[in-house]
Amino acid sequence: QSAPGKPEIMRCRSPEKETFTCWWKPGSDGGLPTNYTLNYYKEGEELINECPDYKTAGPNSCYFNKKHTSLWTIYNITVKATNRMGSSISDPHYVDVTYIVQPDPPMNVIPAVGIQDGKPYLLVKWSPPPLADVRSGWLTLIYELRLKTEGEEWETFLVGQQTQYKIFSLNPGNKYIVQIHCKPDHHGAWSEWSQEKYIQLPSDFRMKDL
Amino acid sequence: LPICPSGSVNCQVSLGELFDRAVKLSHYIHFLSSEMFNEFDERYAQGRGFITKAVNGCHTASLTTPEDKEQAQQIHHEDLLNLVLGVLRSWNDPLLHLVTEVQRIKEAPNTILWKAAEIEEQNKRLLEGMEKIVGRVQPGDTGNEVYSRWSGLPSLQLADEDSRLFAFYNLLHCLRRDSHKIDNYLKLLKCRLIHDSNC
Repeated sequence: QSAPGKPEIMRCRSPEKETFTCWWKPGSDGGLPTNYTLNYYKEGEELINECPDYKTAGPNSCYFNKKHTSLWTIYNITVKATNRMGSSISDPHYVDVTYIVQPDPPMNVIPAVGIQDGKPYLLVKWSPPPLADVRSGWLTLIYELRLKTEGEEWETFLVGQQTQYKIFSLNPGNKYIVQIHCKPDHHGAWSEWSQEKYIQLPSDFRMKDL
Repeated sequence: LPICPSGSVNCQVSLGELFDRAVKLSHYIHFLSSEMFNEFDERYAQGRGFITKAVNGCHTASLTTPEDKEQAQQIHHEDLLNLVLGVLRSWNDPLLHLVTEVQRIKEAPNTILWKAAEIEEQNKRLLEGMEKIVGRVQPGDTGNEVYSRWSGLPSLQLADEDSRLFAFYNLLHCLRRDSHKIDNYLKLLKCRLIHDSNC
């Protein structure tokens, strides 16, 4: 039996620039029941706070709700492991929520076929992830769309801020797979890709087909 | 593109157009500030632990700015506009000196020099644009010239290289932070005032 090994803060993520969560990886528990405490202090403050919520985001995590989340401020975060034989503290992890935003995937992806000047095109529409408040301008998202036929390589299009996109020069008769993902306009990470959506282009295109 | 092309009479650019231009500028300024910080961090700050010292705040810390969505949405738009003006004004002086002092950094790459000059130029343009917007939103109100004085020039000229590099690091860190705040607030204000919070 021994004191616990040093825990490691693995990752912190904010899905909508209003709350955030950090996860840690425990070290060895020294063969004894071990307790974990997350402590943090914010830039310009002396006060050391404890994690406000160990439960919401599951084991080995700390969830900071809106009341405990500030942007443009550096959080200095550490995790302490304690058992009967002693304790061990992680290296400090510095977080500014501005830079850890990874949205959820976009929703309601709807591909549809259209004709313009006699040429077929694919019009894809989607909605931002529900948690992301883009309407008020608090969060500005940009999108990427990717497209392929079964067994082929993906082709990716940087769409920008709009939530629909037209794709021309497709092959009639092919069945296409479409996905969208998003990220904040400046800092943060791309979301996961949305669910795959399939669309079959008619092989013989005439206006009456639509 | 000048706000009112020469020769045009009674040309009145809409508030929406003024905001569009301001947001394009604030987005561009933050993009450059972020790139400059990253470049400086990679080239001069690796392994020096500057981030642990950068937590002693920025010269604009005295300007109480919203730190979360709720605060930003509760503040009156005139107060938020004046705060944006205050932060922009607070950067006029440091940006002016940054352009000069960056040239003294050992092997300072042209890309950092160019960005410092470009940001200084665009910051002035954005300030002009914001004064037009405030003049439109609050006609007649000369507004109190709130800004936060910068006294960091001596630290950019310190003999000790580590201290001097940290001073640059902290200034660029603060510029990245404040330019992001301005960009975020302007996007919020544009949605609120031009699109009735329905962007």
